[in-house]
Amino acid sequence: MALELSIITIRDIFQDEAGKKSRYSEEYKSQSALIILDKQDLAGLGVKDGQSLLVKNDVGSVVVSARLSEDTHPGLAFMPNSPWSNQLVSDATCEAGIPGFKGIKAAVQPAEASAAVTDISEILSRIKG
Amino acid sequence: MVSAMEIYMLLPKTNCKKCGLPTCMAFAVGLLGREKKIEECTPLIEEKKYEAKLNKLREVMAPLESASETGLIIHPEKCFGCGNCVVACPVNVAADPTHCGVGLGPQSDKVILKVEDGVVVANNLEECKRFGPGRVLCNACTATCPSKAIEFV
Amino acid sequence: MAICTGCSLLCQDIEASVSEGKLTKAKNLCRKGHGHFQASFSERTSPMIGRKQVDLNQAIARAAEILRSAKSPLLFGWSNSTLEAQRVGISLAEKLGATIDDTSSFCQGSLMESILSGRLPSCTLDDVRNYADTSIFWGADPSNSHPRHLSRFSYYPRGEKRQKSYEEERTCLVVDVRMSATAALCKENLFRVSPGGDAEFIEAILSVLAGKIPRVGDKKKMIELGTMLKKTEWGAIFPGPGLVYSLQGNMEILEKLLARLNEITVFKVVPMVGHFNMRGFNELLREKTGHINRVSFKGGEIVHGPEQSVMTAAKSCDAALIVGYDPLSSLPFATAQALARLPLIAIDPHRSLTTDAAEVVIPAAISGLEAGGTAVRTDGVKIEFEPIIEPGLPADEQILKRIMEAI
Repeated sequence: MALELSIITIRDIFQDEAGKKSRYSEEYKSQSALIILDKQDLAGLGVKDGQSLLVKNDVGSVVVSARLSEDTHPGLAFMPNSPWSNQLVSDATCEAGIPGFKGIKAAVQPAEASAAVTDISEILSRIKG
Repeated sequence: MVSAMEIYMLLPKTNCKKCGLPTCMAFAVGLLGREKKIEECTPLIEEKKYEAKLNKLREVMAPLESASETGLIIHPEKCFGCGNCVVACPVNVAADPTHCGVGLGPQSDKVILKVEDGVVVANNLEECKRFGPGRVLCNACTATCPSKAIEFV
Repeated sequence: MAICTGCSLLCQDIEASVSEGKLTKAKNLCRKGHGHFQASFSERTSPMIGRKQVDLNQAIARAAEILRSAKSPLLFGWSNSTLEAQRVGISLAEKLGATIDDTSSFCQGSLMESILSGRLPSCTLDDVRNYADTSIFWGADPSNSHPRHLSRFSYYPRGEKRQKSYEEERTCLVVDVRMSATAALCKENLFRVSPGGDAEFIEAILSVLAGKIPRVGDKKKMIELGTMLKKTEWGAIFPGPGLVYSLQGNMEILEKLLARLNEITVFKVVPMVGHFNMRGFNELLREKTGHINRVSFKGGEIVHGPEQSVMTAAKSCDAALIVGYDPLSSLPFATAQALARLPLIAIDPHRSLTTDAAEVVIPAAISGLEAGGTAVRTDGVKIEFEPIIEPGLPADEQILKRIMEAI
């Protein structure tokens, strides 16, 4: 089953630190390729903290790992601002020319057992087309 | 952080009193408060059947062992290096009012908390308000930490 | 003492030395700044054309050739360069008749515009430390983005008029959609807004200040907030990307709130710029053209508007020079794709998705660490710095000058 969630991108100091050192490290991947979900939403999806989720919308899709939130926010999810979250951000802008980095609508579902967390090299080759 | 109940579960639970305390639960509390040492529970050390429990107990107690005399534990892997504690610590401010007092990194050697290599480190713990007979339960450093990187046990 | 260019606070009390290619005993750098300094030892770029190693002169010559033959080039990035480099960049745009834009274009630009044009009252962070008794972090989480913000300026330090401890002297409030690390420090003073609900929340504050019952939010809590605002002697609001995005760049309602608050007491706004010198670029371009970003010099005329923003120009330009930024990682997928199709020139100290997709890569010294210069702190204070290591790499400024000469 899939859940329709609204995703807000956030800053995370550990992810920032890893990204400054390398975009290609496992550390940056593990700090970036994740989605923080409310307990209720995680249970609704039947997954546990650390399991892989497929996050998908009209713009694109990524496989990232689930993180249990310490806070309560059903229907709302958070992702660190990264190449992974940008796979889901539309280039349509509001009147002021700002794209929707916050409030990304996407469907979230458990990833297939064979699907690994999306790698940065995969993202780069998608961008290069 | 480990609780007294978790420690208790790893003890023989026979209330043999060899440690000098009436119950294993009391001994667990003693361990947590660092008034007792694991070695004082002689059955746990000597009897083979408790080996797995002993190993587990040593493992859960390891962070406590590293606690300083004030009970201060720093988890560098959680620390943001933000310096909130450096600036909020009353001892730091008194020792270096012109730097710590106004939000800058300390220049004095007398401070307790400072940030090195991106994370907080503690020195001069005997100066901490929680140390010694006249101690008070100051929590300036833990209350201002955004990531629970400092705790007292 | 060194300066940290890891974020726009430009901390000036850094002690760091480098021996045998390693950073040793770095003092006062936060985790983010420490990562920034350490990054000088990893994933450095070397001069490349079409993914093949070349020497620096060849890379610069090829960059000049691409820009010279382009009909409508885009020059983008800039917020991680010194004022000196930015100045050359703006001249280069003028010379080429190019479009020039920076990272403020898709995030904090509208707020910066409002502040630089004086529509929002602002002050320095030193003023905040000296006078503020109320700090409001709004859609911002400085503990993660500007780690030393609270300890240096906005919550914990003592200042001229704030001599006692933070508990006695200062109140911090957070307005956010979530319990952020910063919000956790001000627990009972977290005011939750729904995503996109900030304009409504401001209306509710205005109602409360007018003595009316607010229409949204927990009414009792809103009234408490109104009381806290009225009791403030000297307040500062720090709007982050969360607020700017939620208001969709429409600053009028925030300006209205500030005007109202300043009828009652003193309230200032200090932006929370991400990169270390975004504000510097905005100020320079504004001096030159009257606009903080999104400017085209095509045909010798200054044109400004959404058409000149990186979001649009990525699709309409025929070559791009990217300086000190990784748009392929940071911009929406389709924009990244549009940029990747162009002949890209990347001037960057570090390997990134952008340098990996670029036709020409030119390595640069890291500003602050390996190259000196001037930058403008997030609050407008100009800060000069000297390098702490000399790697023998040219700075952005020198590279841009050489490209300009070659054109």
